[in-house]
Amino acid sequence: MASISLKNIVKNYGKTSVVKNIDLEIEDGEFVVLVGPSGCGKSTTLRMIAGLEQASSGDIVIGDKVMNDIEPQHRNIAMVFQNYALYPHKSVRENIVFALRRLKVDEQELQRRLVEISEMLQLEELLDRKPADLSGGQRQRVAMGRAIIRDADVFLFDEPLSNLDAKLRGHMRTEIGKIHNKFGRTSVYVTHDQIEAMTLADKVVVLHDGYIAQAGTPMEIYLDPVNIFVAQFIGSPSMNIVDATLHNDYLQLGEHKLPRNKLSAVSFDDEIPSEGQPVKVGIRPDFFNDKKYFTQSDSSFIFEAMTIELVEPMGFDKEVLFNLAGASIKARLDLRSDVKRGEKLDLLIDLSRVLLFDTNSELRL
Amino acid sequence: MSPLERAEANFAWKLVLPTIAVLSLLILYPLLYNIYLSFFDVQLNGDKAFVGLGNYTKLLANPDYYSAIGTTALYLLGTVVGTTLLGLAMALLLKDPFPGRGLVNAAIMLPYVAPVISVVFGWQFLFDPISGVFNYLMVDVLHIWTERVNLIGDPDSALGVVILFDIWKHAPIAYMLILSKLVSIPRDQYEAASIDGYGPVGRFFHVTLPELHFVLATVILLRLIWNLNRFEDVYLLAPNVQTLPIFTYYQAFTGVIDQGLAAATSVIQLGVLCVFIWFYIKKVMKW
Repeated sequence: MASISLKNIVKNYGKTSVVKNIDLEIEDGEFVVLVGPSGCGKSTTLRMIAGLEQASSGDIVIGDKVMNDIEPQHRNIAMVFQNYALYPHKSVRENIVFALRRLKVDEQELQRRLVEISEMLQLEELLDRKPADLSGGQRQRVAMGRAIIRDADVFLFDEPLSNLDAKLRGHMRTEIGKIHNKFGRTSVYVTHDQIEAMTLADKVVVLHDGYIAQAGTPMEIYLDPVNIFVAQFIGSPSMNIVDATLHNDYLQLGEHKLPRNKLSAVSFDDEIPSEGQPVKVGIRPDFFNDKKYFTQSDSSFIFEAMTIELVEPMGFDKEVLFNLAGASIKARLDLRSDVKRGEKLDLLIDLSRVLLFDTNSELRL
Repeated sequence: MSPLERAEANFAWKLVLPTIAVLSLLILYPLLYNIYLSFFDVQLNGDKAFVGLGNYTKLLANPDYYSAIGTTALYLLGTVVGTTLLGLAMALLLKDPFPGRGLVNAAIMLPYVAPVISVVFGWQFLFDPISGVFNYLMVDVLHIWTERVNLIGDPDSALGVVILFDIWKHAPIAYMLILSKLVSIPRDQYEAASIDGYGPVGRFFHVTLPELHFVLATVILLRLIWNLNRFEDVYLLAPNVQTLPIFTYYQAFTGVIDQGLAAATSVIQLGVLCVFIWFYIKKVMKW
C-alpha cells in the first residue's frame, strides 16, 4: 500500500512534448482515473509511474521513495495492459503465478492464492489452457488475475477494457470496482471512456494536451467543470454549448431572457461583467425536463413551445433535438414524455445548472 | 467427391503437371538412378555387374568410412552450434535501432554473399605458415607460439579452420532469421515481465527464448541439412578434411574410381537426410 506523488512531471520525445507538466497527489488506497482524449498524455503518465518510460524531468514518488531511477521490476507494482500482454507460451496458471515464482513464494501459499484468485475471476476451468485458446474476455480476466494475485503497492490499469465488447466491458467494470473495494489498493486507471471514469473513480483527473485540466471527484467534474473542454468531455450526451450575451439583469439566449440573479451562484458573486459581453452557455442534456411532469421551483426557467426536430428513443429515456439561439440542442427526457417529431414542447430547466464560460479562454465564469 | 470437386481436382493436376515433370527429370531420375547404381559394380566404360548389397558391405567394412562419419559429426556439431550461438548473439546485440545499423547489417551479410572461391583463397592466405598474418600475429607480435604452424596443412587443425570458416560464412543467415523473429516479439511482453519482477536475464529466458524456439529449431535443422551435404567450402579450403561428401567424391572420381561404392555412400547419406527432413517437418513445422 502506498501513496503516489507526481511532481512537475514532463515527458518529451525528441522535440515533441507529450506530458507538459503534471502535478498530482494520489492518496493511499485511492482509485484515480486518468481520462482524456487520445494523445493527452494519460498512458505516458501511467507508464512513467510503472517505470516503463522515464520522465524527462520531475519526480515520481511511491510511498516515501523517489522512483525516478528505479527499474520497473523493483517498484513492486502490478499492471494490466491494454492488449493484456499474456505470455503466449505459458498456461493460464503459469501466467497468473509468474510474479509469485520470481518472489519465491512458498508453494502452498502460491496454490492458496491461485485458488482464491481463480475462483474470484471464474478462471478455474481455464487454468491449463494457453492464452491463444481464450476469448477476449477470458484473457482480460487472466490479465486481471496476474495483477491482483500479487501483494503489490500500486495497481496500474492501462485501458484494460477497451478491447471488450460493450456488454462485457460493463460487466468487467463492475468487477474491477468490486475488486478495488475488496483489496483497497492504490490504483491508477487510464481510460478514454468517461463512463469508466465516473463509475470507478474516487478521483477523476481529466488530462488535456499534456496538462491536468481538472482533478476532482466524479460529481465535481460533472457538475462543476472548470472549462468547456472538461464540460464536454465528461457526460454523455455531451454538454450543449450555445453563444449568448450577458446583460445587467439577464442573460440573452436567442429570444429568451434568463434572469441573472437565479443563475449559478459562483458565476456572479462579486464582479459583474460588463453589459453586452458575449459568453458561452453550457447546459447538460440531462438537466432539461418535460414541464408536464416536473413541478417548478424558484430557480426554474421554461423554454416555451420549442419545436422538436428529432426524437431518439433509448428505452428508459429519449433524446430530443431542438433549436435554441441558432444552435442544435440535445435534451434527455424520461420515458413519460411522449413527444413526437414536429410537436411543440415546453422544456423546464433549473437555472442553477446553467454554466457560463468565457468566449475566448473557455474558462468558467 | 462431387462432380465439381472432381473437375477442380483434375484442373489442379493439370496445373502442377509441368512442375512435376521437370522435377522428376531433374531430381527423381538421378536419385533413382543413384539408388540403382549402388547395387552394381560400375566400370568406367559403362559396364555394370550386379553385386547386390556388395557395395554396402564393402563400405561398412572400410575404416575410412567411419573416420569420415566422425569428421562429419564434429563438423556438424561445431558449425551448427557455432553459427546458431553467434547468430543469436549478434541478433540480440543489434536488435534495437541505432544510427548506422543498415551499414552494420550489410557488413555482417558480406561473408554470406561473397563467392566461396574468393574468400577461400583469402582464408588460405591468412593461415599461410610463411606469409600469413595469423602466424605473424601469434609468433612475431603476440609471442603466444614459438614456431609457425601450418593450420590448414595438418588435417587435425584443418577441421577447426574449416569449422571456423563455416561459422564465419553462415552465421549471417542465422543472424537474419533470428533477428526477423526477435523484432516481432511484442514489446508489452517484456514490459509485463519486468512489472512481474524479472530483470534482463529472466526476461530473456521467459519471453525471448520461448518466442525464438521455432526459429532456433529451424536454423539448427536447416544448418544440419545443408552442412551434411556441404562440399565446396570444405574441399576448396582444406581438401584433407574428409567429411562424408568429400569421402564420396574421392571414392567416385579419384584414384581407384568406384562409382558403385560412391553411390552406396550417398544413398546412406540420403537416408540420414530424409530422417532430418522428416523430423523438421513433423516436429518443428508441426505439419
